[in-house]
Amino acid sequence: MANNSMHVRRLMFSMASLVDLGQEATSAKSLSAKMKSALYVITGAFSVPTAALFIYHPRRKSLDLLVAKGHRDKALDKLSLSVPAGQAGQFRINDPHTVRELAKSFFFKRNKNSFTKLQARVFLPLFAKGGFIGAVMLGQKLGNAPYRKGDKDVLRIMAHQMAITLHHSQLFLELARKASENRRLFHNMRRIYNDTIQAFAAAIDAKDGYTRDHSYRVAHYSVAIARELGWKKKAVEGIYVAGLLHDIGKIIIDTKVIKKGRKLTSIELTEIRKHPQISYDILSKIKFPWNNIDNLVRHHHERMDGTGYPHALQAKDLSEGVKILTFADAFDAMTTDRPYRRRLGLDEAFGEVMKCCGTQFDEKITKTFFNLLLRELSGVKKKPRILPLLEHLDKSGFSTAKSTATVRKPAKSPVPKRTSAAARTIGRRTAAASGTAA
Amino acid sequence: MSNFSLSSKSAQDIAIMTPRGYINDIGAERLESTSEQFLGDGLKKLVVNFSDVQYINTIGLSIFLSMVQKTMEYKSLLCFTNMKKDHREIFEMAGLIKHVKVFKDEKDAFAYLNGRN
Repeated sequence: MANNSMHVRRLMFSMASLVDLGQEATSAKSLSAKMKSALYVITGAFSVPTAALFIYHPRRKSLDLLVAKGHRDKALDKLSLSVPAGQAGQFRINDPHTVRELAKSFFFKRNKNSFTKLQARVFLPLFAKGGFIGAVMLGQKLGNAPYRKGDKDVLRIMAHQMAITLHHSQLFLELARKASENRRLFHNMRRIYNDTIQAFAAAIDAKDGYTRDHSYRVAHYSVAIARELGWKKKAVEGIYVAGLLHDIGKIIIDTKVIKKGRKLTSIELTEIRKHPQISYDILSKIKFPWNNIDNLVRHHHERMDGTGYPHALQAKDLSEGVKILTFADAFDAMTTDRPYRRRLGLDEAFGEVMKCCGTQFDEKITKTFFNLLLRELSGVKKKPRILPLLEHLDKSGFSTAKSTATVRKPAKSPVPKRTSAAARTIGRRTAAASGTAA
Repeated sequence: MSNFSLSSKSAQDIAIMTPRGYINDIGAERLESTSEQFLGDGLKKLVVNFSDVQYINTIGLSIFLSMVQKTMEYKSLLCFTNMKKDHREIFEMAGLIKHVKVFKDEKDAFAYLNGRN
């Protein structure tokens, strides 16, 4: 009767141990923490003070120590057992082997010192999905108590569960490693992609000494405006790229025409006006990760009043991106030296833009740009994005108070119905300067 | 191990450790390291008071197993006090109980330990 009671209690204890192991197997811990806990469950269940768990490396044909219990020797941390070819196939799957059983094997003989150091009595090979994936070594029980008959059955179940846990964790780690590798490759490709785009932009601008860094500035003005308008990150990236590449069509326009300081002939004008369409033709062949890059560049010389080119589109047919790019392109043309005129100061450029607001430029975009510039000038905006691009520019006379009033006031009709003569001139000149006579 | 905690103190040549909560995670290894520290400091009489222990599983047992092993190596005495019935049963089942002295409370343990060199 007493024996029966003890048997039931042992059974209950074994079941409780298996439940503990199951809980550890499904926990969210790291592989080593999970396997350490699992090893503790086994050592606790069998009263074994010393134990070690190894992971099998098929390429190296070695069992490398993952976690150990009851061993203080630091040298054990790097312990590795050599597994001779064909040995794994000789192990009984998830079945405990006594050291005595293994004594004649080449595996034991080759690793005898390690078995001794670990005071191993039981070797438990772990198999999952038919493959050898690791092993547990158990030492002597506390007080040299013998392993019982029933221990073998419980160890077999535990080995099975540990093997599955180890296998799943390894799969997960492999997946995580691959995901991390893919992320790294993606970032590398992205960097190369960006570098290539910037190199193209530099090549475009290099065609004419006067337009050096023009594409770079247009890209940055566009980004500043798009961010102010609350564009999403990916769309902002898109307009940045469109800004860098908007003049790519100029690459095949005759350099003499681009660099000409005098008034363009009608043939030259026709020639230079082809560049937005050429830019489109080049970029539409590329599958960009951003939408509408090709259309943005094709329409960067359209105007609000429908007198732009190549399609003389009306304001309602122009996307916000096109309006931003149009503004950024013209503003940079005004504020940089050209073969036929010196650059305008900020105050003059502001005045000219305001005159062309509604005819050449979109009102909302214009206001957004100058309001941002004013905030940067007054120091309200801590990280200026436009000012660093205007270092070369005369900012005297550009009164914050005046500009604020002008930019923020345009109540009903801030936009002159007719463009002033000066504005028309600047419009023509800036257009010509960027290859786009109005 | 979110709700495990351990307090410890020493009086004369006796170290007293009072674990609280669940001893079911490797976070409770502090019991093992604390006892090892006491043994390393030369204290050869250790007392573990179980009055605030709510639950022990096989991981907890494994930790106590290491403590028992260490006290045997140091030829020291390990006493358990205030054990609930289920605590005692699990230690009996694991065969640990015969390697420790079990007392009703700390007072009884001190009386026994003070009578020994």
